[in-house]
Amino acid sequence: MDAIFKDFGKAYAEFDGYNLAKTLAPVAPEAQPDRLYNFHRSTNFSSVQKDFKSKILHNNALPFKLTSEESNGWVEVYCAYWKAVGEILNAEAATKTHNKVSWGKVYEAWKEMTVVLIRGYTNSGFQAWTVPCLYVAGKYMRVFAIKADEDAANNPSSAINFQDDFNPEAEKNEKLEDAARQLNRMFQICLSDRAPLEESRKWGIYNIINLLFKTYFKLGSVSLSKNILKALQAYRGDMPPLDNFPLSHQVTFKYYVGVICFLEENYVEAEKHLTEAWHLCHKDAVRNKELILTYLIPCHLLTTHTLPTLALLSPYPRLQDLFLPLSRCIKKGDLSGFDAALIAGEDEFVKRRIYLTLERGRDIALRNLLRKVFIAGGVEEAKEPNAPPVRRTRIPVAEFGAAISIGSKETMDNDEVECLLANMIYKLVLFGAFGLRRRIYRLHMKVCLAQPYPPPIRRDFSGGTTSRT
Amino acid sequence: MSAAPQSGSAPTTNATSSDKNADPAKDTKPAAALEEDDEFEDFPVENWTQDDTEVPGDNTHLWEESWDDDDTSEDFSAQLKEELKKVEASKKR
Repeated sequence: MDAIFKDFGKAYAEFDGYNLAKTLAPVAPEAQPDRLYNFHRSTNFSSVQKDFKSKILHNNALPFKLTSEESNGWVEVYCAYWKAVGEILNAEAATKTHNKVSWGKVYEAWKEMTVVLIRGYTNSGFQAWTVPCLYVAGKYMRVFAIKADEDAANNPSSAINFQDDFNPEAEKNEKLEDAARQLNRMFQICLSDRAPLEESRKWGIYNIINLLFKTYFKLGSVSLSKNILKALQAYRGDMPPLDNFPLSHQVTFKYYVGVICFLEENYVEAEKHLTEAWHLCHKDAVRNKELILTYLIPCHLLTTHTLPTLALLSPYPRLQDLFLPLSRCIKKGDLSGFDAALIAGEDEFVKRRIYLTLERGRDIALRNLLRKVFIAGGVEEAKEPNAPPVRRTRIPVAEFGAAISIGSKETMDNDEVECLLANMIYKLVLFGAFGLRRRIYRLHMKVCLAQPYPPPIRRDFSGGTTSRT
Repeated sequence: MSAAPQSGSAPTTNATSSDKNADPAKDTKPAAALEEDDEFEDFPVENWTQDDTEVPGDNTHLWEESWDDDDTSEDFSAQLKEELKKVEASKKR
């Protein structure tokens, strides 16, 4: 206990929130592997409160004076922490001896500590610089909740509930949902702090929001994240700008906002946030950069129709597996290859929530295929004797049809091909128009595929000509 | 119960040696057990400087500049040409 209260005193004297938070960690530091064990053994249930009081409240060695409210608040927090540590040590011992670990108990004890800590801010006047304690409490509350829920899923309670309203889904994430509620309280006490900015808990807001985002994503209720953003928007006038927060808060926040936009198919916004996260991300955080790119690449594919280079993918074997087969097919215009790659990666794509976005990459593969047909058409004789030969711009629909059917057993009928082409023109991926001269040829098409991104065009189907506005 | 490592009832001579053995396991176990799930990971540091981020100037090489693949020599292009010839042939018949 001495080690922890010595650190407590030091951190408090220096107003060092992060070091203070370390005294509430549920994991022993590497340098002192027995720290938690010794801490827990240093007292017992009957005297824990008295002992801690003597360390905080009546300790004349501390170089500062706390108000009695504040001191009592911290005594409560450390008592709850002591109990939680007891459960954590039990769980660790049980893991080692392969006995049944009760993460549910760990979660409850940790949550109790978190509740006491939150109360410290609302009732005991805990100062704003101590908010990193909330980060540690929140972070591990989420971790323990997930473990407790996994536990519950693996060991369904023996007392099966036969009631009609029994809903197994509701119980699946019981603890994590509970944790989300506590995190939301943390969010509220940071958001609504009216103290002047320099001593405001608002500086803790993005870290807590990030914890909430992680929790909501895990629960599959991404829509709840939107509520957080709305609340944040409502307070934006009183909030310090995001740029002033530590980069770890910024990058995580931008990543999640980017993914939220991505899931709403707002790819332009998503790309903006993800690109910012990419630029600011710590260069050694490989996994996080991989996650950013997982969404940035499909975004970029849809907004600019460009693919990642090998140089971008090379440090990330996982991303190569994810995107390279599709990229190659898009580039080549290989539709059946694209479909096969999409099916092959389906599970992973769905898990990452990028399937629907990648599916749209088929348009680009199709566009590239059609362009190849156009190039393969070569040039035709000039009408006037001395004029240079011109590219063949009228391409029978059947040729496109044949190209589209490559690799798949089915042949596509001309009407269907026409429909595809019309869609492509509509999406401004193709620049062209149909000429409906049914008597001479079944259908002809005038296509100019040279430009990937034409300005808006006026489509004039009657005369078979196209002009730019 | 008495065999549990944390009971503290083991003879002191053994305790030191078993502690040493247990230490590496103790270090790795909780860390692995408390590892986070598939979400965005916590950064090992809270803040950093521009030097520790990717150089933004590199960005130009991250994306392919053109989405056109003009390499007509590969298999797929050859296959395409075959198909187009077939279309051509069937029309003449």
